[in-house]
Amino acid sequence: MMTTLMKLFLLFVGSTVLHWAFTAVLGGVGLSLNVMLAFACAVCAHLKPQYGYPTAFVCGLFLDFFGIKLFGLHALTFTLCAIAVYSLEKRLDFDAPVPQMISLWGLGLFAALFDLVLLKVCAGFSAWPGFWPFAAGITLNAVLAPAIFWAVRRVLTRGIKA
Amino acid sequence: MQHKPQHKKQVSQGNRRRKILPIVFVLLSLLLMALPLESPVASVKAFLAYIFIPQIRASHAALEYAQGVSGTVRELLNTHWENERLQEEMDRLRLENAQVREVFAENERLRAALGMKPSHIWRGVWTKTAYREPTQWNSVIIDKGTQDGVQERAAAVALKDGEPVLAGVVVETDDYIAKVLLVRDEDFSAAAVSSSSGKEGLLVGAGAAPLKMLYLPLLSSVERGEKVYTSASSSIFPAGILVGEVVQSGEENSSATALTARVEPAADASSIRELFILLPKSGGNTP
Repeated sequence: MMTTLMKLFLLFVGSTVLHWAFTAVLGGVGLSLNVMLAFACAVCAHLKPQYGYPTAFVCGLFLDFFGIKLFGLHALTFTLCAIAVYSLEKRLDFDAPVPQMISLWGLGLFAALFDLVLLKVCAGFSAWPGFWPFAAGITLNAVLAPAIFWAVRRVLTRGIKA
Repeated sequence: MQHKPQHKKQVSQGNRRRKILPIVFVLLSLLLMALPLESPVASVKAFLAYIFIPQIRASHAALEYAQGVSGTVRELLNTHWENERLQEEMDRLRLENAQVREVFAENERLRAALGMKPSHIWRGVWTKTAYREPTQWNSVIIDKGTQDGVQERAAAVALKDGEPVLAGVVVETDDYIAKVLLVRDEDFSAAAVSSSSGKEGLLVGAGAAPLKMLYLPLLSSVERGEKVYTSASSSIFPAGILVGEVVQSGEENSSATALTARVEPAADASSIRELFILLPKSGGNTP
């Protein structure tokens, strides 16, 4: 258990750095790559709920920490995404790249729309980046997903799941 | 025989966790969203800063260092040429500085004679943008915090074509980082004055649309293209910082008691890399 927690922590730190790096590089052209979402989904796909849900929640908090409105919104979105991953795990093979990309595309779309709607409704703030940056961000995230799933599986190796 | 009940117990425990955990985290998220952003959430954020900030700071520093290496090599190659140019510039600036000091002293004498408050020279720190959420251009995180003297409600100024322009205001501070609310955000407001007509109004952010300059007198005429600067009546911003340019003047409806103009901000949120954060005057809270 301790080993898994240590590995999870290191993976989390790596993901935050990767997320920051993509934000720094792609932010200039208005693209938003949600590496944290891909990481949270990968952890949920490989580990049991007692690890997956807290990880998704903390990943969401990480994004909330850097925002200035509606603290807890990303934590909620990520928890809902984790619920979706655990609901889909028997129907989708999360070890194969194509289901990983499809699920991440769908979850990315859901997360982005959910955030936009809640920000507008609860904080009166419109964060719509425009259609192309929005679509490109979600698609790029889906393309990147297999690499993140692979890295998470590789580090966790046998994991805890039976 | 004894393994079966134990296995069943483990499965039922797993199922229970599977049902309870999402409910717990959804409720926790909703609670965080419902809490006021001030005291309880600020405490959570202060705690989270210990987990989330170190690696981002380290990465930012590493990137700065890596960028610095190529810059240093280039600088070394150009040192001689640059040194000569800087010497010339320094001589010119010395001369200018002497003139400025003289004019400043004269200005202070005249201010004193007229019984006006003495003017203040801006003091501040240069900071770099450490993080920004691309979908939310309303704020940026800068790489300096309270350790460097940055305080909440401090003005953030950017440079555009060598001229200082208002970029935003510091809204949250930590030891090593701070959050700057940019001028386009709906929560941003500042007292401002138009350059030619001298009319004063309240500038508020309007998201992607140009800023609104509210409460302009009904019979005033604020022309398109007029520059808008921060007003001396602002409690946060020092007077005379360029905010933007009027792009639409005098929105009016029949029941209006004041005019509203639209001002395009001079600071481009997407290209802000460095910000000058004004430090408080000695003995005061605001710049």
